[in-house]
Amino acid sequence: MLRAIGKRDRDIFEEVWPDKRRIVLKLLRQDTVSQREWQDLFFGVHFVCLWDEKGAAKIYDCLQQDIVEFIVQAQSQVQAQRGEQALLATYIVEWRKFFTQSNYLPLPFRQLEQSPQVKPSSSGSSSSASATVSASGASTSAAAAAAAGSSCSNQAGKSGASTSSATGASTSAAAAAAAASTSASTSSAAAAASGSGSSSTTSTKKNPTEDSPVRKLMLDSWNKHIFHDIKHRLQESAMKIVHAERNGDAYDAQLVVGVRESYVNLSSNAEDKLEIYRENFEMAYLKATAEFYRLKSAEQQQENGVLAYMKYADSKLREEEVRAKRYLEPSSFSILTYTLVKVLIVDHLNSIIAECPALIRDYETERLNLMFRLMDRVLHGVGVEAMMGDLQRHIMSAGLADMLSASEVITQDSEKYVERLLELFNKFSDLVRNAFNDDPRFLTARDIAFKTVVNDTSVFKMELPTSIANRGVKYTAPESKCPELLANYCDMLLRRTPLSKRLISEQIDARLRDVLLVLKYVNNKDVFMRYHKVHLTRRLILGTSADSEKEEDIVEWLREVGMPADYVNRLARMFQDIKVSEDLNTQFRTSISRHDAINIKILNAGAWARCSERVSVSLPIELEDYIPDVEEFYKKKHSGRKLQWYHHMSNGTITFVNNFGRYDLDVTTFQMAVLFAWNQRQHDKISYENLRLATELPDPELRRTLWSLVAFPKIKKQILLMEPSAISSPKDFAENTMFYINQEFAIVKNGKSQRRGKLNLIGRLQLSTERSQQEDNQSIVQLRILRTQEAIIKIMKVRKRMNNAALQGELIDILKNMFLPSKKMIKEQLEWLIEHKYMRRDDDDINMFIYVA
Amino acid sequence: MKVKIKSWTGVATWRWIANDENCGICRMSFESTCPECALPGDDCPLVWGVCSHCFHMHCIVKWLNLQPLNKQCPMCRQSWKFNVH
Repeated sequence: MLRAIGKRDRDIFEEVWPDKRRIVLKLLRQDTVSQREWQDLFFGVHFVCLWDEKGAAKIYDCLQQDIVEFIVQAQSQVQAQRGEQALLATYIVEWRKFFTQSNYLPLPFRQLEQSPQVKPSSSGSSSSASATVSASGASTSAAAAAAAGSSCSNQAGKSGASTSSATGASTSAAAAAAAASTSASTSSAAAAASGSGSSSTTSTKKNPTEDSPVRKLMLDSWNKHIFHDIKHRLQESAMKIVHAERNGDAYDAQLVVGVRESYVNLSSNAEDKLEIYRENFEMAYLKATAEFYRLKSAEQQQENGVLAYMKYADSKLREEEVRAKRYLEPSSFSILTYTLVKVLIVDHLNSIIAECPALIRDYETERLNLMFRLMDRVLHGVGVEAMMGDLQRHIMSAGLADMLSASEVITQDSEKYVERLLELFNKFSDLVRNAFNDDPRFLTARDIAFKTVVNDTSVFKMELPTSIANRGVKYTAPESKCPELLANYCDMLLRRTPLSKRLISEQIDARLRDVLLVLKYVNNKDVFMRYHKVHLTRRLILGTSADSEKEEDIVEWLREVGMPADYVNRLARMFQDIKVSEDLNTQFRTSISRHDAINIKILNAGAWARCSERVSVSLPIELEDYIPDVEEFYKKKHSGRKLQWYHHMSNGTITFVNNFGRYDLDVTTFQMAVLFAWNQRQHDKISYENLRLATELPDPELRRTLWSLVAFPKIKKQILLMEPSAISSPKDFAENTMFYINQEFAIVKNGKSQRRGKLNLIGRLQLSTERSQQEDNQSIVQLRILRTQEAIIKIMKVRKRMNNAALQGELIDILKNMFLPSKKMIKEQLEWLIEHKYMRRDDDDINMFIYVA
Repeated sequence: MKVKIKSWTGVATWRWIANDENCGICRMSFESTCPECALPGDDCPLVWGVCSHCFHMHCIVKWLNLQPLNKQCPMCRQSWKFNVH
């Protein structure tokens, strides 16, 4: 019986298939296939598979033969074309036709998928797809039979027995049914089927025919029989078109697009659909591109120079990006850019970079911007780094040269200095913004360079004392005078000066902000703090602030820019003292009516600028009388406190009357004491020696005070005269140098002596005696030493163990808002702390420190 | 010639009149602050007991809070009373 069935099987295939094969050939040729023929094909395939054990394999073999035959025909047609464009055009036409067929020809052959003989490698994905359909296998198989327009008596029983074959039937039948229903109006079933096939390609993600072995057979055959032979010709032709396009000749872009599509669609590899495209088309495209531009770029650079070349490279990069969108798959964009950058930029890197310094020097922002954009495309930022280096070097050298050329003016005039500095800073900031779009890397380069300029010591420097007595530490380091000048400039803005009077409030604010901006780059902010505090002390004591609100604003701003809190708190404290003193004054005046002329300023010793030394002075008798009253009053207000007078800071206004006129003079208490020596003997000449006895001032203070009365700068007539008159410095006063009142003294304005007037003889209020000024300079260094020690201990207390490099890093971080500790100083302080057993070195590692509690 | 004072601004600082250099509790100088404070002066005042001993206010308050029963001066063991002048 088995033999009988086997014989019958062969018969069935041979009986049925020749008829169906005609339909297959029609489909391949895209001839009209009627609805009936289309349905017949479904039935035929189903029938053969069902009744012939080897039916599926037979159909598959036969189909393969037909497809190959068809492809060979197509190939001969394509190959017959001589011209390149014609070749491409024919190939694309043939391919498109074939590709369309590949979408719907597999439909009738779905059943072959279930056959183990023809099942290709992609079993995993198709089995899961069929499993979902098999649930409704029984019911749909009936529908499939009805749709196929066949009636088979055995079908119901058979389909129930084998679910797998029923599934195949159901899906193919469903597809056919769908085709039939949509093509109700159209006469050609094939056209409808292809329509539904193509629409499903676009609408659903997964083309139902995609996994089909028949489709794979079709594509593989095409690949093998036609594509393999002519792909080089195809690629070459396509690249020639691209080449022509690049040269600006006429071209047909659609041909290139068509070829690329054929490459993409040709792949039957489900895992990597772009495999064929990538290995052939993309590679050829990249190669052609690289070759084209290798020649062109050299040529362009030679002909037009580097600057024009940059423009060329930039425009070509953009042009190629647009072109790539037309001709390449998105996955190729990055590699194409990489190739282009390599050929257009990296290969010319050195010659482009060589232009950078000159462009920076000439502020060619547009070109620099172009160069920056080009360099920014280069991987690892080699080009950008080189440009940053150029920028940094330029700012440094240009900045220093500018400072040096103006050194004569700016070392004398802090206003000019700060303005010059800001001008430079704005210029370079503009450059970074316009040329480099404020790119953070370039901002950093600018900051580093600016730091160098600001902290440079070649134009002017401040000498810090060379030795610290109590620890025997030698310390010499010239430092930039910048922080001092910044503080001076601040003072000019905040004090009542010609400058601050000239400016409106907003301008002053803007300038103060500018100062803080520069201050950011200053290494040794402690110097600024010290000078700022000294200036503030003068302004508060003399009451010369232009605007007390601004004074307090800037304290807050200093806090905002990260000045140490204890420093800022002290400044705030100073304002508080002045306010408290004002209240105290009002109370004092109401309590004792005769002291209207007396003002007291009681300071908190810790907060104000250090005034280490008290200077004795014999006050005018009137003042001498006030002092006990003030002290008594204060004692009542605050028990347990004692006042300590700082007469070198005290000051007042005196009325000076002579034969010529009557003048109000602002003087220091020391000047007052000296002038009062003549009150009883107006016309006498008094020797230096006697003045010392009368005033009880220490020698240096007396010399300084006398000098301010005999040689006050910028006034025509001095209040005191001396004998001999040819003394040129306070050091030259001798014991018997005689001083006497200038009876002709007058305030001279516009060359005319005035009878009335007001004059300030205080000048710059001396906050400290000469000796303590030296101490002050040392105190900066002293304070730095203490701060460094403090910071080291602070760090070590937390870390317990730390190596040298890490410790230095943290140390600088802590101290950077005050000053930049030198390596030498850190080392010395570490040694000192080790010596005093605050910490020790690790026995095995000399660079490891251990905290000792 | 005659010189007359029209007005005068006297500048002075103040310091504590204490009977000792250092605070007996924290051993810090009265010129500076107790260990918790940063700025000497009004922010970290001194106080006197009836026994005439003197401490940083912060120090003695802390000390007194630690004594559950007899609030004594840490120096002389007399019972502590603030001396209000």
